[in-house]
Amino acid sequence: MLAAPVLLGQEDLVARGEYLAYAGGCISCHTEDIDHAVPLAGGRAMETPFGTFYSPNITPDEDTGIGGWSDDEFVNAFWEGVSPQGEHYFPSFPYTAYTGVSRDDLLAIKAYLFSLDPVVNASSDHNLVWYMDTRLAAGAWKALNFEPVRFEPDSLKDGQWNRGAYLVRHLGHCGECHTPRGVTGVLRDDEEFAGSEFGGEKVPNISTHRIDGIGRWSGSDIEYFLEIGMLPDGDFTGSSMVDVIENNTGKLTREDRLAIAAYLKSVEPVENTFQ
Amino acid sequence: MQRKLIAAFAALTATFSFTAVADTSSEDALDYRKAVMTALRGHIGASSMIARGLIEDDGHLLGHAQGLASGAAELGRIFQEGSNVGESEALPAIWEDAEGFAEAVADIQTAADAFVEAAETGDAAAIGAAFRSVGMGCRGCHDKYRQQD
Repeated sequence: MLAAPVLLGQEDLVARGEYLAYAGGCISCHTEDIDHAVPLAGGRAMETPFGTFYSPNITPDEDTGIGGWSDDEFVNAFWEGVSPQGEHYFPSFPYTAYTGVSRDDLLAIKAYLFSLDPVVNASSDHNLVWYMDTRLAAGAWKALNFEPVRFEPDSLKDGQWNRGAYLVRHLGHCGECHTPRGVTGVLRDDEEFAGSEFGGEKVPNISTHRIDGIGRWSGSDIEYFLEIGMLPDGDFTGSSMVDVIENNTGKLTREDRLAIAAYLKSVEPVENTFQ
Repeated sequence: MQRKLIAAFAALTATFSFTAVADTSSEDALDYRKAVMTALRGHIGASSMIARGLIEDDGHLLGHAQGLASGAAELGRIFQEGSNVGESEALPAIWEDAEGFAEAVADIQTAADAFVEAAETGDAAAIGAAFRSVGMGCRGCHDKYRQQD
């Protein structure tokens, strides 16, 4: 349902933005985890060792949502991790991955969000440990750990691999859950996809390690898992990954899922760091 | 507190009416339950390879689909009231939220029956879609009622 008159060509942009919003996991994070939640109105709680983060309202409401944001402000949130007021975001908003998403894709997502009905829902304050409870802490964390960087396709790899790299490393931000973190919450890049723990749940190793990871899965196995959640042994996942399958990877084209699979089949095998 | 002790004692010594003839021990009930779930997993694995076009169906997809429907039909009784015993991945929610669990089981049974029908037609697209529905049924139940690693 569109709230504003649609310009010629705008419909395609909004449709593309909707697809990317699913691919980016925006819908699941910015929607409260209850039955009949209002999509994208925020309020989902994310438990971390630093306290609980609450996702904000990203419907185009002027006061409680992002209705007043310009294109540049929207892009900057993802590329630089700053709000339109210049405040630093906590990396619970994974700009550490989103920094690589293209400006075109971001503006398509913005067009989609702005096509929705504005919902009035004031965002909750995060409930954090005392030493993280200021934007100064977020700024300090960023200064130490974050480098805004655009995505550069690898010219030695084919289009499918590069699409997969873009989806996994940036838009789909898989590493944010599947890569282990250090004590300050920074991702351990040398152990990429080796698994982690999140909200009391173990997140699996999805590196190509043949025992600890998914090295024995075929590309087809990975694609099918991302579509319906079936593991190669016939079991079906029932974990937090269900949310990802239903609201992210399950909504992608088969082509995009195969690209993700191709990229994942190319990563380094890494042993489990956790048990 | 006393009520809890009595209930715990009763659970330990509970027997189940699986058949009209004999009562079943809780150990056997759990073994049977796990065997049925394993059988379902086997049929799912086999069906998936045919549904995805990796293995040619020489008529055996129907058998796997019927195996799934048969296992699905047993879900209610193998998780019946009082069967919350022993070491397994089954979460207490199965028995605490019996209504919700029954709904999840009904969804799986509907999907499994539809999968049998699709397998009978031999239509690849219908089979693929019906299999996906079965998968989502399995997943939906595991999401709420099975322990995650």
